[in-house]
Parts: sequence; structure tokens; C-alpha cells
Amino acid sequence: MLKIEEIHELIKRIDESSIDEFTFESNGTKVSVKKNKQEATLASPVQVQAQAPVPTQVQEQPVTKPQETNNQVDENVNSEQQVNYDYEIVSPMVGTFYSAPSPDKDDYVKIGDKVSADTVVCIVEAMKLFNEIEADVNGEVVEVLVESGELVEYGQPLYRVKKM
Amino acid sequence: MESTRNKLIDILNVHKNSFISGQQLSNQLNISRTAVWKHMRELEKDGYVIEAAPRKGYRIVESPKKVSSNTIHWGLQTKWLGKEVVHKHRVPSTQTVAHQQALNGSSHGTVVIADQQTKGKGRLNRKWYSENDDGVWMSVVLRPNIPPNQAPQLTLLAATVLANVLTKLKIPEVGIKWPNDILIGDKKVAGILTEMQAEHDQIHYLVLGIGLNVNQSSDTFPDEVKDIATSLKLASNQSYSIRQLIQDILFEFEKSYDVYMSDGFTSIKQNWERFGYKMGEKVAINSGNRTWTATLHGIEADGSLLVSNDDGSHERLYSAEINWKGGNVVEE
Repeated sequence: MLKIEEIHELIKRIDESSIDEFTFESNGTKVSVKKNKQEATLASPVQVQAQAPVPTQVQEQPVTKPQETNNQVDENVNSEQQVNYDYEIVSPMVGTFYSAPSPDKDDYVKIGDKVSADTVVCIVEAMKLFNEIEADVNGEVVEVLVESGELVEYGQPLYRVKKM
Repeated sequence: MESTRNKLIDILNVHKNSFISGQQLSNQLNISRTAVWKHMRELEKDGYVIEAAPRKGYRIVESPKKVSSNTIHWGLQTKWLGKEVVHKHRVPSTQTVAHQQALNGSSHGTVVIADQQTKGKGRLNRKWYSENDDGVWMSVVLRPNIPPNQAPQLTLLAATVLANVLTKLKIPEVGIKWPNDILIGDKKVAGILTEMQAEHDQIHYLVLGIGLNVNQSSDTFPDEVKDIATSLKLASNQSYSIRQLIQDILFEFEKSYDVYMSDGFTSIKQNWERFGYKMGEKVAINSGNRTWTATLHGIEADGSLLVSNDDGSHERLYSAEINWKGGNVVEE
């Protein structure tokens, strides 16, 4: 486990460098640092969050699925275009994200779709419990943040919605 | 009417081996002797065999085999589970019916049972073969007051309930494949499918579906699942009363659920681990976009699967495809 001072030092160094993102793993602990992002997703209930200088976010969590986390970071960085949204639908649990009821069916929602509070937007599965996630707001889907079959963390944003 | 009949069944069950007179019944239930006689006729319609002897009275000779909301209700020793029973002869899936029930405001503990399902659901809309009268095809509506991220523990709980019921019937080699498939030996005898509607911090309801193969013979199963599915009858050479099994499962489920709500997951976890399948063995795992081999260790305090990788690191899995096939599930 890294000390908080070490995390601060790490952030400082990365902040001064030209590195956009940085991941460090040791003894079941993982620290990812990335720059210029609006929000960080925090997964583990026992997380240590360092308060970083504003543009830099720190994420520390047990190493459960390093690859997926990296993929997700990549995607977030790639989809950097300014999207106008004011609500994020987040995952209520750790599990696998499914955008459609089954592989041969259409996605529950796609970009541009209007949703109301009780519209089912996706399924998150953990331990064979299939959780139908509702939008919880009235609005329009403006961004899909996760691909079907990907693992998602507790509290991870799945969709961005422009409220109406 | 309904409650009078329940009382009548309870009294008759208590006096199982002796007669009870029409007059006694009439006094205890506070109805006329003619009304007692009418109730007896109704019970017979539901499959009870009742012996009526002059000057002795009535006694139950045989409880009904057939499943109906009445026969499930009668003799069911639960406090809240199955107080409302919806029984259908043939439906696409009890899950679908239970969802409708829940959306219409059905209470916690409502049970939906079908004799046959034409589109029994496995996970991700795979088909669960259940187009026969030989199994328990049942869904339960639950409205637990727990955070949604704890709800997956209920699917492990349901697995231990089934494993316990089968063990009490002296079925050999009962195992649970993480998280919740029930096996006899290496073949699947029961599956559990749980579907939840929840907001971020609150569960609206969940529908927990149980499919248990009971009296199927090997030709009942379609070719695709013959080698991987089994039934209680195939494992023990005996037939079982579906009605009795449903009552046993509901009773055991309520007991475990109440323990879980008051004391948490610890005792469920211990019970689960007694039945854990292939623990200590190496399996192929697919999770997210990754495939690898790892050794199964056990489950964690939250119900996730603990595995150790070849490089010595440990991982908790919440969602994974593990390479061990089984059950009436046919991929469509």
C-alpha cells in the first residue's frame, strides 16, 4: 500500500510531466492517475482517495480487473469531445455490463434515444443476478460510456443524459 | 372462506392418524356441519383423499399430489413466503408472470408456480427446458430492504436452500457451482435466475426464479442437454411430490432469508462452502475481455469468487464465465 505522501509526490511529478495517465500496481493495490478529466470513478468501499490538484484525479482500488480498467480509461480519453450532458447513469454494483437483453437483440438504448425515469437502459450482471438499470431521469441519451460485455465498477458512469 | 379452509386443513393435519368428528370441526371452526361437509367436498376436488366414517368423523388419507394455489397454501409452514401463490398450468415463463405481479404491486413473498413453461428462461434469454410437469418451475417476488449491490448474495442463498433441501432428501453428491447452479455429481439438476429492478440505492423488487428437475427420465430431456442435465429421479430412482418439494423449498428459503436479514451473509457463506464445486481445482475463466486459467479458492464475505492466478496473485470475481457446462440450458 502506498503512503499518502507517496501518492502526493506521484501526482506532483506526473502533473509536471507530459504524461497523461499513469498506472501503478503492487501487492493487490492499484493506483491510476490521469489528467484533465471531469470526474473519477471510485469503486472500492475501502478506497483511499488523495485530494489531488484540481485537474488531476487519483483512483485507488483493489486489483480486480486491471485490463478492463485500462480499456475504460483509454475510451474516456478518446471520447474527449465536449458532450453536453447533465446527468450520468451509474452502475449500482460491480458486474458485467450488457447493453441488450441478449446478444441477438437490439440495444436497450442508443445515442439520441429519449428516456424516461423508468426506461430500462441496460443490464448489469453480478453472480447471475441480472439488474435492469433504469434511467431515473427524463432526457436524451448523449453518450454511451461502456461496451457490452465489459466489467464495470460500483458507481461507474454508464450513460450520459441531457435532461429534458 | 379461504381462512376457514386453512384452519380445517391444519386441524386435519394435526389429527393425521385419528378421526375427528364433524361436530368437533363444526365447533372449532364455528360453522355448521353442513358447511364442514361442503368444505370436505372442496378438498377432495383439490386432490385430498378423505375418509369419512360414520360416528367417527373425518381424516386425511392422502394429501394431494397436484399443484394448485390451494394445495401449496395448505400445510405450508411459512410466515410470509407464499402467503400469496399464483399457480398457472402453462405459461411462457414464471419469471415474466412474476415481473407483472411485482409491477402490479404484489407483496414481498409472492410465489408464482407453473406446471409447464413453454419458454423457460435461462440467463441472457437462453432457454431452460421445462415443457413438462416433472419439475419445480417457480419464481418468487422479493422486496428486500438492502442495498442493490448486496442483492447478488440472495442468489447464493437460494442455491444453499436448494442444496439443503436435496441433501435432506438424501440425494448424493449435491454441489453448487459458483455462483448458484445446483449439481448432482457433474450434472445440473437446478438453476437459479434472478432479475432485479433497482435504483442506485434502492431495490424496487427482485424476481428469483428456480428451475428444479424432479421426475424427468432421461428421454424427457432433449438431446442437447441429455449429457449435462439430471433430475432427482435419475439420481435416486424415486419419484417425488412436486407439491411437497415446493413447500419444502419455501419453508427452507424463508428460514435462510430471515437468518440472512438478521445476521448477515456469514452463515450462508459457510453453508455455501460445504457444497462448493471444484474448489481447489484449476478452471478456465472468461471475464470482461480476458480469458485465463486459475485455481478456485472459495467465496469471499460478499459472495464473490476468490481465485488464485498462476502468477500467485489473488482475484475476486463478481461476474465470470467459467468453463464448465451443464443444465437444461440450450443456447439459442
